[in-house]
Amino acid sequence: MENSLTSKLPVEPSPVVVCSLKSHNCSLSQRERVLYFFSLPEWGRGGVQKYIQNLTYLMNTAKFDKIISMIKILVISDRKEKCDYFCAIFPKNTYEISCLSDENLIYDTVSADNPDIIIIDTLINSLKHLNKKIKNLCPNSIIIFLTASNKIDKDLIKYANAFLTEDMSDDFILSTINVNLRMKNSLEMLSNSNKDLADSLYRLNALYSTSSQFSGTLDKAKLIQYMIEGMDKALSFSLTCTLSFCTEEEPVLILNSLYELSDELIEALKLRTVLNYNSLFDGKNPPVTVNSDNLKVVKQIKYPASRFTFSLFRFDNMFAPISLGENFFGCVEIFKEASFSPDDATCFQTIAQQVSLPLKSATLYQEIIEANIKLAKLERLKSEFISIVSHELRTPLTSIKNSLDILMSGRCGEITEAADKFLSMAMRNVQRLSGIINDLLDLSKIEAGKMDFNFAPTNINTVIDYVKSALSEVAKSKGLTILTQTEENIPDITADAQRLEQVLTNLVSNAIKFTPENKTITISSKLINSKDIHVNAYFKDTVKLKDGDYILVCVQDEGIGIAEKDLLHAFDKFAQIENSLSRKAGGTGLGLPIAKQLLEAHHGAIWCDSELNKGSEFYFAIPAANVLSTV
Amino acid sequence: MKKILIVDDEQDIVESLKFVLEAADFTCYCAYNGEDGLRLAKEIMPDLIILDVMMPKINGYKISRLLKYDAKYKNIPILMVTARSQEEDKLIGEETGADEYITKPFELDDVVKKVEQYLK
Repeated sequence: MENSLTSKLPVEPSPVVVCSLKSHNCSLSQRERVLYFFSLPEWGRGGVQKYIQNLTYLMNTAKFDKIISMIKILVISDRKEKCDYFCAIFPKNTYEISCLSDENLIYDTVSADNPDIIIIDTLINSLKHLNKKIKNLCPNSIIIFLTASNKIDKDLIKYANAFLTEDMSDDFILSTINVNLRMKNSLEMLSNSNKDLADSLYRLNALYSTSSQFSGTLDKAKLIQYMIEGMDKALSFSLTCTLSFCTEEEPVLILNSLYELSDELIEALKLRTVLNYNSLFDGKNPPVTVNSDNLKVVKQIKYPASRFTFSLFRFDNMFAPISLGENFFGCVEIFKEASFSPDDATCFQTIAQQVSLPLKSATLYQEIIEANIKLAKLERLKSEFISIVSHELRTPLTSIKNSLDILMSGRCGEITEAADKFLSMAMRNVQRLSGIINDLLDLSKIEAGKMDFNFAPTNINTVIDYVKSALSEVAKSKGLTILTQTEENIPDITADAQRLEQVLTNLVSNAIKFTPENKTITISSKLINSKDIHVNAYFKDTVKLKDGDYILVCVQDEGIGIAEKDLLHAFDKFAQIENSLSRKAGGTGLGLPIAKQLLEAHHGAIWCDSELNKGSEFYFAIPAANVLSTV
Repeated sequence: MKKILIVDDEQDIVESLKFVLEAADFTCYCAYNGEDGLRLAKEIMPDLIILDVMMPKINGYKISRLLKYDAKYKNIPILMVTARSQEEDKLIGEETGADEYITKPFELDDVVKKVEQYLK
């Protein structure tokens, strides 16, 4: 089995590393590749780091000629001539024959050597319990009985694969044995295929359950954990080293191992991971610098009572990066005492690839969450800021206002006309400032969901009358007339009258501000079904009216109007600031957004129609059957 | 002459209140933090207290509560002055026993009128 690592690891052992192949007891199944970790005994603790360049991994392709296994035959007989006979008829280069009669020796040989064929002489003394024990000790061996005559002891049938009689010819005996051998081979092949099939099924199952786990979470640490668990299920490894960049800020090396790892071994694995990681980038600078100092190790040990030792580390391994396109999340290497099959390699790659996609989604998801947290924090800071600022502003403002009051009352001496003019100017601006602070506070309260509403049966016409009388003086001073066209018989709604007054006062004040002299401002009200309400195209998306009756209020002016491009932003916070004319007119630009929020608390809506230099119509609608249990 | 105790850490506000109240023939005592306010209240037994909310040492709500739960002082009317910030909104829910709330910025004449109302 070849994997990407072979070419990337240092092949030459450094001079101080002594390596020996003597200890390498390689079996047939492990002849592909053997991995060594070397250390000098005098290194001791910390020595590994000191000898960074001395530590190396020798990738040794140990090529063993295929040993053709001999067919092992055990003859159990206490008759020397029979033993000699069998030794003579089997060709020596294909068959390895042993003849035994001592009971204990027989058991030892049978269990240690696992012969392919056992030929038992039925004339041997301890035959009865011998059969049973042999069958138990090596159930896969073929047992053939040698009988003196054609008569067969019925007790023997359940143990026997075949019978030979002593008068049979050599050829007959050999062919009987060959037939049985072929049968044994076929059975073994079948059993192996079955085992492979079962393995594949199991692996498929593991892959399936892992991938469904992947799709179930957006937690990166969990995804990495699921990957490791999936590999454990599908490949039953001894040790994995997972380098992960995505679970914490620092690179993390997750060592998931069957047994406890010594400190030296952990250091070696860290170095190995660093080398692996750097080798992925072919000499270019990797996106994150990883070295054994900044690598945080997380150990997950299955059986902490036992321990892997450093010098005996001789495992097969596989390595894969965890990445998707440009996104690099880490890499994973797994070790196993037995060697990995090509199927194992495919399965391993599949899992490493499978985890990359959810990791990418998780990264995006995390970015969104972080952005949201940041936004929420900013929003809270803004609210707090507004609240603190307005509190801090209010106190000095009170002092200024009080002083002005005292001066203007004449209690500190007579005031000249000019002085009065400037004192009034100062007073007007104090009032304006305090209005702005109130608006800011209102808005931050509404946005924080802390605005208290006092809902009670309210008639909209009463609100209109109140606002008209409150503002008619101001209007008159500007040469404007406020007219009302209210429909009688408008039903009461459940609403906070004070807040509705605030909304309407805002709209009418705006109309007064932006309307030139000698013009008219009209406030109208009517009961109307939502399907007869026409909201212009600019507000189609934001104004959503439900089916049913609404109370519609309109404030119409003959003022400067709003340009088409600004219509949509009329209800945005501080929208007015952009408009130089409004600066002349004064105001914070918070009146309309506050009105919008207050109406939304009444399940209502606000919008406007306007034509530049002709005038504006501001509408708001509140459901006639307004049931406001909770707002 | 009726005695009025003004408690506010803002000296300027205390000054202006004192000015108009003295002009309306009241005797004014002033304290610039909560602790002094409480001590003075017990010492001079004022006829009315004008009390700011946000103050160092002891806040206005606490003073109000301490006085209102004490049989000896509970009949002294308390006018609470507040700047209506969110912090104060939280406190306002508490049972303080204040007789009246005045929001900053307030009209001096209104305050004088209210004081006269209580001391009629």
